[in-house]
Amino acid sequence: MSAVDRLQPIETLPGQERYVAPLDETPLREVDSIDESAPATSMWADAWRTLRKNPLFIVSAILIVFIVFVALFPSVFTKENPNYCSLENSLAGSSANHPFGFDLQGCDVYARVVYGTRTSISVGILTTIIVVFVGALIGAIAGFCGGWVDGVLSRLVDIFMAIPMLLGAIVVLQMFRSSSSIWKVVLVLALFGWVSVARIARGAVLSSKNLEFNTASTALGSTPMRNLFRHIIPNSLAPVIVIATTSLGSYIVAEATLSFLGIGLPTTTVSWGGDISKAQSILRTDPMVLFYPSVALAITVLAFIMLGDAVKDALDPKSRTE
Amino acid sequence: MGKYLLRRILQMIPVVLGTTLLVYALVFALPGDPVKAMFGDKPINEAVAAQIRAEYNLDKPFIVQYLLFLKNALSLDFGQTFAGQPVIDEIARAFPVTIRLAVMAFCFEAIFGVVFGVISGLKKGKWYDSVILIVSLLLISVPTFVTGFVGQYVFGVKLRWLPVTAGSNPGFFDLLMPAMVLGSVSMAYIIRLARSEVSSNVSLDYVRTARAKGMTNSSVTFRHILRNSLIPVITYLGQDLGALMGGAMITEQIFNIHGIGFLTYQSILKGEANMVVSIVTLLTLVFVVCNLLVDMLYAALDPRIRYA
Amino acid sequence: MEELDKVTQATANTNAASQSEGAQSSEEAMRAVQLEHGPLLEVKDLQVDFTGEGGKPVHAVRDSSFTVFPGQWVAIVGESGSGKSTSAMATLGLLPGTGHVVGGSIKFEGKEISGYKPKDFVALRGAKMGLVPQDPMSNLNPVWRIGTQVKEALKANNMDVSHEKRSKLSKALADADVTVNNEGDETFIGSQELPALLEAAEKALIEIGIEGEKLSRRMAQFKRDWVAGSETRWRVADALIKSGVKDDDAWYIAKKYVTGSSLEDRIAGLLDEAGLPDAATRARQFPHEFSGGMRQRALIAIGLACRPELLIADEPTSALDVTVQKKILDHLQMLTDSLGTAVLFITHDLGLAAERAQHIVVMYKGQVVESGPSLEVLQHPQHPYTKRLVAAAPSLASQRIISVKSRGEDASSIMEHQVNAEKLEKSETIIEVDHLCKQFKLPRKKELFKAVDDVSFKLKRGTTLAIVGESGSGKSTVANMCLKLLDPTSGKVTYEGTDISSLKGKDLLDFRRHVQPVFQNPYGSLDPMYSIYRSIEEPLRIHHIGDKKSRHARVAELLDLVKLPSAVMQRYPNELSGGQRQRIAIARAMALNPDVIVCDEAVSALDVLVQDQVLELLNDLQAERGLSYLFITHDLAVVRQIADDVVVMQHGKLVEHGTTDDVFNNPQQQYTRNLLDAIPGGKLELGLDL
Repeated sequence: MSAVDRLQPIETLPGQERYVAPLDETPLREVDSIDESAPATSMWADAWRTLRKNPLFIVSAILIVFIVFVALFPSVFTKENPNYCSLENSLAGSSANHPFGFDLQGCDVYARVVYGTRTSISVGILTTIIVVFVGALIGAIAGFCGGWVDGVLSRLVDIFMAIPMLLGAIVVLQMFRSSSSIWKVVLVLALFGWVSVARIARGAVLSSKNLEFNTASTALGSTPMRNLFRHIIPNSLAPVIVIATTSLGSYIVAEATLSFLGIGLPTTTVSWGGDISKAQSILRTDPMVLFYPSVALAITVLAFIMLGDAVKDALDPKSRTE
Repeated sequence: MGKYLLRRILQMIPVVLGTTLLVYALVFALPGDPVKAMFGDKPINEAVAAQIRAEYNLDKPFIVQYLLFLKNALSLDFGQTFAGQPVIDEIARAFPVTIRLAVMAFCFEAIFGVVFGVISGLKKGKWYDSVILIVSLLLISVPTFVTGFVGQYVFGVKLRWLPVTAGSNPGFFDLLMPAMVLGSVSMAYIIRLARSEVSSNVSLDYVRTARAKGMTNSSVTFRHILRNSLIPVITYLGQDLGALMGGAMITEQIFNIHGIGFLTYQSILKGEANMVVSIVTLLTLVFVVCNLLVDMLYAALDPRIRYA
Repeated sequence: MEELDKVTQATANTNAASQSEGAQSSEEAMRAVQLEHGPLLEVKDLQVDFTGEGGKPVHAVRDSSFTVFPGQWVAIVGESGSGKSTSAMATLGLLPGTGHVVGGSIKFEGKEISGYKPKDFVALRGAKMGLVPQDPMSNLNPVWRIGTQVKEALKANNMDVSHEKRSKLSKALADADVTVNNEGDETFIGSQELPALLEAAEKALIEIGIEGEKLSRRMAQFKRDWVAGSETRWRVADALIKSGVKDDDAWYIAKKYVTGSSLEDRIAGLLDEAGLPDAATRARQFPHEFSGGMRQRALIAIGLACRPELLIADEPTSALDVTVQKKILDHLQMLTDSLGTAVLFITHDLGLAAERAQHIVVMYKGQVVESGPSLEVLQHPQHPYTKRLVAAAPSLASQRIISVKSRGEDASSIMEHQVNAEKLEKSETIIEVDHLCKQFKLPRKKELFKAVDDVSFKLKRGTTLAIVGESGSGKSTVANMCLKLLDPTSGKVTYEGTDISSLKGKDLLDFRRHVQPVFQNPYGSLDPMYSIYRSIEEPLRIHHIGDKKSRHARVAELLDLVKLPSAVMQRYPNELSGGQRQRIAIARAMALNPDVIVCDEAVSALDVLVQDQVLELLNDLQAERGLSYLFITHDLAVVRQIADDVVVMQHGKLVEHGTTDDVFNNPQQQYTRNLLDAIPGGKLELGLDL
């Protein structure tokens, strides 16, 4: 049967009669018209709007603002000196001026929790800044240059990936036991942390490098370097921001873990990890001494991980967690 | 498949060499004297120091040191501890304990992670999805050592269900709580991964096509949604098996388990640089081999990789 | 159910009969059967809502009605977002996401199914209704073998069990004297018995005195037709009887050797029916080893595996090349005709719908605006939207031009662009492509792949040259070399007499100023982070033209040129439609007042009406500014509307080169003829009352 034969006009079957909808039911609109009433939104504005409405973001943002405020101005929250300890007060219970009581050495637990915030937050933020800077740079170079540069840098990433962060950090820190500042911990965490950012950044640059608007810009007369800075990097930022936010929490955990093991921070620095470590011997009798810094630590990390989730939802609508 | 495997093994070699070199360099070649570190806070006995330097070839150029170390490592000769024990013996004693712990943790995180993640992903928005999500978020936020103490206090001290510490030759029950603590963070990550994979696969085109064939909901779920969602989960699990060995340090410390992590930590405190390098080298090897296994598994599960 | 089987069989019979008795009577017979049976699918006042932002309902389909009779092709036509796919998916109970039926009725075989629970739909899908989905790349699960995915369809509807059981049963009955009638015959040839069957058939033919040339011809025919897992006992007997073998002997052979196939045979048979060559081997392969066309054939095999009454084909070929599209649709039509399957054919292409379907339903903004017999709707569209659609459809427009010409009339009134041959001859060359070759190194392969192989042509100033070819023909590679985004392996491209390969620095920048691109993907060619203003301003900035104020004025002017309000400036690409983005891309290309614009599939991704609008814009710009276009496309129909010269490419080689009129009226090469034949609606005699 040829196509023409099929179309010989034959009588229509019931229900298939000719039908034309009245025009007023579906008025014709102009082809491809623009809805001018909607507000103009860039990708960032759009992401911000999604973020603003996300309860996860609201909760985590409030928490983080509060935590950072505590870290900046601990003296607002306590008049006590966290390093003033007197054995007379050892394990004394809570009182009006000392809501969390005292630890084994007779230090005020509340004051130590408040002052410990500063250590955790500064290590977390400083490490993240270095890691993002170094990781994004190396990742972007690998992705943009490709070829042997990518090959060498990717193997380098593989090598660092193969060493567990904590183990590597302990080994290195053990070598520098003499110097004592939080920078030591920050640098060591960054040394083993940059790889994850580099991997993400490389992937992001690779995928935005192949997008058509780069070719379009080249055809308009743009140079590869201009493309890199004007198009590729801005378009690769989102995944890097996501990994940075999420990692911040994990650096705080790593710092606490190192302090818990008694490696890294100088003993005079007030840190949640160190306090938890000291409290473990009295776990059976006075669990609350261990409890307070643990809760502070958990809430801080939770806040950053929730922020990471919220940012991820906003910047990458495909991977919604809700 | 064979070609793919060969390529992966060849790619593995520079990574192993690079990693051992890096670890070796970190321990022996960075500014800071490893021999001095070995003495800790004690005054340095120059004669002993010289002897140690000679023994570890520390008086030779760095690259020669590294090559000699590699040569010895290939014949499993990692030198001796300060006490005169061969390093390899100590490691051989500790390794099985950690393997037992890691395998238990692995099973725990794999089973519970996948089950909860899949339930959560399939029933997005239900109340138990929210509960699973919140619990996994909490587990990720709370550091392992805190989880460990909470477990010790609640199940060991208060409820007395499980032993508080494990000791030198632990059995299944001794390791149960440490394994759950060790696997908890990874479990939480697996829940999240499985959940997002499953929920994004549910609306894929080929899943709709499968439904259009007239397949029942359960066979569509198993054959199309789960089969495909679990590929990245299995990849994560494989990489995690290697990481668990390294991550056991904290858990072994808290529960007093005399495994590799415990040994590493003690060696670091004592300044047994030789031991540390040996263990880290071994762990790296385990990690790399695990990755290779994952790659093979991945190739077996995803035909697109196999023929690439 | 029983009745339906009869109907299906009857339809098949009438179809078989039609080959000898002529089409007209078959149509009548079919109509009688259809009338007797009543509608297969009856959709009345269907309403489908999606839950939008903040729980507000979004109406995807409103008060839509259409009817499908058994054995009939019904097409739903509309642009993207018109609700055509949603209507079809509602029928299958497979609405995506938050979609749900809120009103109206869907009757299948007289039963109301709109209120069915998911479980009830499972029984219906596959066995009663099949689906051939749109995108062959994403609709097969990458981790299962093709054969396994066909098997799933059989298993899901218990067809696997019935096959094996029937096969066992009929083996037991093979020698017994049981009459098997043709109704519901599901006993297929098994691959094991096939050689013996052929041998027996040959013997039988020799016995009745057929020999020599005739015998070998017959046998070749049998070998071709008798595919294991596809041909049935009844058909084998029928074929033998038609060749002259006595009824009893024919049935004896058929019963003895056609004893049912294994599941594997059946899968291979189904794939073979769908037109997949070497099906038994192919069944063991994975989707990524298949081309798009082959995947679509596998999906057709899956859709028809359980012999549904209704096949829903959702844009089954929109992702494929035109010649492949034609082959696949021809095959699908042959198959559904012989099985008596009704097809609900969803498409955006009016020409395609008109050519394939007897009844056509036009949807617009979620509503049916016009429906009726396809030819009638097409010849005398009444609703303004249908009129607009018919006027804009490039395939139909091309056909209009051809048919007017063939009647010896002057077609210039309906041709939107016209440069007379004389002028074409005289005008000077602006871009010359001379023996251009481009080779690529393929990963893990030794020999180089010739993407472009010795291509030469000239683009004359103020005219349009179209390069036509299917995917992989190398047409885009040529475009990229003309834009100096790729360097040729050999040969050269000259612009205004200078070889562009030697251009560097300032000269290159100058060249870029004069030759501008518009790319295919309207979603990829604008940076999502840039506002429309920044996007259009970018070329001015790169070439350091003007100050801030004059640039702003220029951007406004350019937006006006492409007929967009200047308020768009502050907006971002994600807020605009594909057509609007493409107009922005044109504005950007026009910013530097170029001489040449290279359009690489610039309208391919757009809906017909929008496509028409963009083509018109390009035409106007050419008339106003004397632009020259290098127009890369896979769609010959569009070429007719816009080009003066045509270059046809296949596998990197230039196949044919000539003026548009010459190529369309007197194609010299078979490949060009195939391309022309494949334009949907090509065989239609169209009324020109528009």
